[in-house]
Amino acid sequence: MSNTPVVELTDVSKHFHRGSEVVHAVQNVSLSITPGEYVAIIGHSGSGKTTLMNLMGCLDRPTAGVVKVNGCETASLDEGRLATVRTQSIGFVFQQFFLIPTLTVMENVQLPALFAKKESASRARELLELVGLGKRTDHLPGQLSGGEMQRVAIARSLINSPPILLADEPTGNLDSRNADTIMDLFQDLNRQGVTVVVVTHNHDLVKRCSRTVLIEDGSIRN
Amino acid sequence: MKMSFRTVALSNLRRNPVRSILTGLSLAVSAATLCVVLSLDRGYSAAVTDELVNKTGVHLYITKEGCPIEAASVIAQGGLSPLYVSESIVEKLQSLPQLDAVFPFKLFAITTEDGSRTDIFMGITEAARSVKPDWQYDNGGWFTSDTAVILGAELARIENLAVGERMYSEHFRREFVVSGILKRSYSQDDGTIFLPLKTAQSLVGREGKLSAVAVKLKDISSLDASRNLLRASVPDDYFVIGSRELSEGILQFFSSTRAIMFVMVSVAFLISIFGIVNTMLMAVLERRKEIAYLKCVGAGARDLLKLISLETLVISISGSALGIVVGALLSPAVGEFMRKLLVAYIPSGSIARPDAGIVLFSFLSCSIIGLICSLYPAVRAARIVPMEVLRNE
Repeated sequence: MSNTPVVELTDVSKHFHRGSEVVHAVQNVSLSITPGEYVAIIGHSGSGKTTLMNLMGCLDRPTAGVVKVNGCETASLDEGRLATVRTQSIGFVFQQFFLIPTLTVMENVQLPALFAKKESASRARELLELVGLGKRTDHLPGQLSGGEMQRVAIARSLINSPPILLADEPTGNLDSRNADTIMDLFQDLNRQGVTVVVVTHNHDLVKRCSRTVLIEDGSIRN
Repeated sequence: MKMSFRTVALSNLRRNPVRSILTGLSLAVSAATLCVVLSLDRGYSAAVTDELVNKTGVHLYITKEGCPIEAASVIAQGGLSPLYVSESIVEKLQSLPQLDAVFPFKLFAITTEDGSRTDIFMGITEAARSVKPDWQYDNGGWFTSDTAVILGAELARIENLAVGERMYSEHFRREFVVSGILKRSYSQDDGTIFLPLKTAQSLVGREGKLSAVAVKLKDISSLDASRNLLRASVPDDYFVIGSRELSEGILQFFSSTRAIMFVMVSVAFLISIFGIVNTMLMAVLERRKEIAYLKCVGAGARDLLKLISLETLVISISGSALGIVVGALLSPAVGEFMRKLLVAYIPSGSIARPDAGIVLFSFLSCSIIGLICSLYPAVRAARIVPMEVLRNE
């Protein structure tokens, strides 16, 4: 496995305006994540964790500093190229599952592959087996529990075989039993070589990670 | 089923089926209106041309100088045209070897005092049989006396008159005997009272005066030469007008009705356009979170444009298809209804004639308009910034 960082942030800052107030969400952060790592980003609400993760996922552009994904500097990329980077390199899991309610489990999982113009049916089936939902491919999201919906979302995030999985509070909406299942799943994926970065408040999840990054007032403290 | 943009688009439309159906129906109304109006436009023109140019034996009309259409309008309103042709020219015309038939006629309308009804009278001669080859009797036949009348089918039905029965005219204080009833032709003839030319002239005190003279040529290829010959044979203040020119004049008279119909189509389209844009915009705004997520996982502006356009296209194609089917089926009934409203000349035969061209044109225009309507909502979807949406969530 190459040691080139899958995500590298150098002196990254992100400011945005909320009315007349300027919010310094992330300030001069430098962070390097190497392939195969399992990183937890922790901190109080409003500390800048999610903004940091969005910068890593090319969902947001930094006010200052450099963000590299798989060695590619993202600042100069237009929206179309950024979309390609996201499709090919990054899988996203959010606290809210963002499943399309009128698409089946199978179709939801295949959705990112549609934008990557990839054939995805067999891979989607494999992933649904992996997350333990192989027999529920034709169900609609409304017929699933919260934990099952998050497992579908995880399967969906992996459909394009991205090297990095970014998860924002993936257990935030789940009970402890479902949260355990999700944590086990992340651990399995990491063992299979997927780089996992989770933003979380869940201490059990943090304990399973190989590295913890603490954010306070937009800066890394540890 | 293979995952495709179509799968996603159809699933999005299923979220709010009532809204999708209503939007499709609004476009269906536009498509149906367009189809009906185009069918009427085509049908009326074709029917007038058929009746005045193709079917009748009449090739030329001789009228008094002035606008014959205006005169027809005066007559249709129950007036007596001030323009007339002298009957003295008929004998001269009959002597011309180039002419096959000369048909003098006197046309006038009588409106009842309360204005509730207008009867159209037409004084004719035997020559009518040559220039009205489609005339068929349902009952009876030609005039049996000077006081005999031949009735159009609709008039006979309304008056409940049969051959041999007597018809009393309040206006003229005279009694007529029904000698024949015509088969329905779906033209103005259905409501007309035909009577001998001399009787018609004497009823309105216009002895020796005609509304016009219709002429049938032996050789249609000599139309221009015959027109010149007729011009030389009649007084200078008479017109010699071809049946095609007459039909074009009538169609020009119809143009104001046509303009109103196209305004109706435009209004229907405007309503549909606002409906579709509003529906698709609402669908986009309601799905901001989902669209933001789609952008997170790699959906580009082009993908979203494709998705929203596809959703609109499904609504547009379904609505347009339904609309043209309804429009094509309704056209004949609307045509019959329009007959009762038209003040202009009403030809026989169907005045609403949908064809493949009209159906295809209506379908394509509605579908394309629907597609154009998707552009603004699609651009709004493409411009959604995922971070702004997710941050606010």
